Amino acid sequence: MISLESVSKKYNRKSVALEDVSLFIEPGEMVSIVGQSGSGKTTLVKLLIAEERASSGRVKIGDWDITRVSRRDVPLLRRQIGVIFQDFKLLAKKTVYENVAFALQVAGESPFRIREVVPEVIEIVGLQDKMSRYPHQLSGGEQQRVVIARSLVHRPKIIVADEPTGNLDAINTQEIIDILSKINDFGTTILLVTHNKDVVNHLRKRVITIHGGQIVSDQQSGKYRL
Amino acid sequence: MVVRLFLISSQENIDFSMLSFFRVIKFAIQDFFRNFSLSFMTILTLVLMLLSVNALIAFRVVGQHAIEMVEDQINISIYFSHTASDEHISEIVGFVQSFPEVEQTTFKTPDQVLEEFRTQHAANHEILASLDELGENPLGATLIVKTNNPEDYENIITAIDIPEYQDIIDAQTFGDTQAAIENIRNITERVERVSLSLAIMFGLIAFIIIFNTIRVAIYTQREEISIKKLVGATDWFVKGPYIVQSIFFTVISIAVTSYLVMFIWSRFDPYWGLIWHQADFLTNYYNSNILFLLSSQTAAVLVLTIFSATLAMRRYLRT
Repeated sequence: MISLESVSKKYNRKSVALEDVSLFIEPGEMVSIVGQSGSGKTTLVKLLIAEERASSGRVKIGDWDITRVSRRDVPLLRRQIGVIFQDFKLLAKKTVYENVAFALQVAGESPFRIREVVPEVIEIVGLQDKMSRYPHQLSGGEQQRVVIARSLVHRPKIIVADEPTGNLDAINTQEIIDILSKINDFGTTILLVTHNKDVVNHLRKRVITIHGGQIVSDQQSGKYRL
Repeated sequence: MVVRLFLISSQENIDFSMLSFFRVIKFAIQDFFRNFSLSFMTILTLVLMLLSVNALIAFRVVGQHAIEMVEDQINISIYFSHTASDEHISEIVGFVQSFPEVEQTTFKTPDQVLEEFRTQHAANHEILASLDELGENPLGATLIVKTNNPEDYENIITAIDIPEYQDIIDAQTFGDTQAAIENIRNITERVERVSLSLAIMFGLIAFIIIFNTIRVAIYTQREEISIKKLVGATDWFVKGPYIVQSIFFTVISIAVTSYLVMFIWSRFDPYWGLIWHQADFLTNYYNSNILFLLSSQTAAVLVLTIFSATLAMRRYLRT
């Protein structure tokens, strides 16, 4: 469960990224958050992973108040939310296997468990033959699949995907969305931030539209309306 | 610390455990070799800076030794009147020896002084003939005094320059050597001042260059740092490999510098040997001070690299 109660984020008096946003996302939902560039979508993601702090209001995941999370607890929070970025954010000097394993290593998981889990998630995204490759040796779609594998490795209940298909062609976009849909089918909550009209319309899931830092529509089975 | 684990119930452990410690070392080794060109350039910069510092040390050691050698050759001679009684001479010798500044005294009897005079002027028959003409030894005893520092000579001369001793002491050579001592003192002070200024300047340059080298190295990896933070790494887990790499950089640069310094100094030693008739001057200095030189340089570079890495990373760890 994710809830935002009257959340605002202001960088200064003139720059307001989010204003009085309230929303509630049930466990297992797949929600698309759409909006134009600068509408506040990415700020919302940053608030959820504690990269930014809300200026006012409350952000809760489960019964954990993210607005009050201590700096020391931020790594714990991030290990429990899978995050997918448009620019992949893979470690360039690590192989596919090492990138995925790193997410477990930071959490102090045992080498035995890492050897067991990492190949499993890499297989889920179909990269079992490319485990020893470095990110620059992969296509954009493959890199994004590595990111999905990394986000899955903790078996999180929530995955936040910020423009995951922004740098991909139509075929790779469809593949990534299919993978995310399958993950959602297994009960993981997916928060998909996108401005890709086709993706949103194809999913036929809940769509929240943000404009000027405010929620302007929230449809249970919506379409891209901007 | 109570953390509500709402998503997964695995054994979360935020502590810097032994397993994490070994992983940090593993990542440090991996990063060191995978960013080899960066590691190489960092070590090269450290080696060049350390070589400059060691060149300065060599300059100081050679300069100080040169001054010591010149100082060592300076003394004052007190010439007693040939009519002075043994009792009076003994009193003055005892008085001079009682000064704590006096390092060494050499007393020469009138016969020894005459013998030396004859030897020195063996080629001058006129002087020798004049001496023979006199029929007796016209020279008195001599006391050669050496003090710990050139500045102390003035105290000794002032102390014996009293009316009671005027008939006993014929002359002293201090007047002749005073100018030389003054010069030596001036040179010593200038060399010290130049050495200190150079040390401060080199130290500052070394600090700025090493600090910036580490900063640039961290800057090139700022993206990696933020990614590690985003996937849930603690500050220590991110910082650790860089700190360990700083230790690698320090140890390797100190080892390479030590080897090069020994090699270069051993090449210079034959030249110093010709001047000072002292074999392996710089090598011996290095060997006898190796513990101090290595430990002080290691500590300085280690503190500097770790401090620079920590400071440079601080802004990227905020994400």
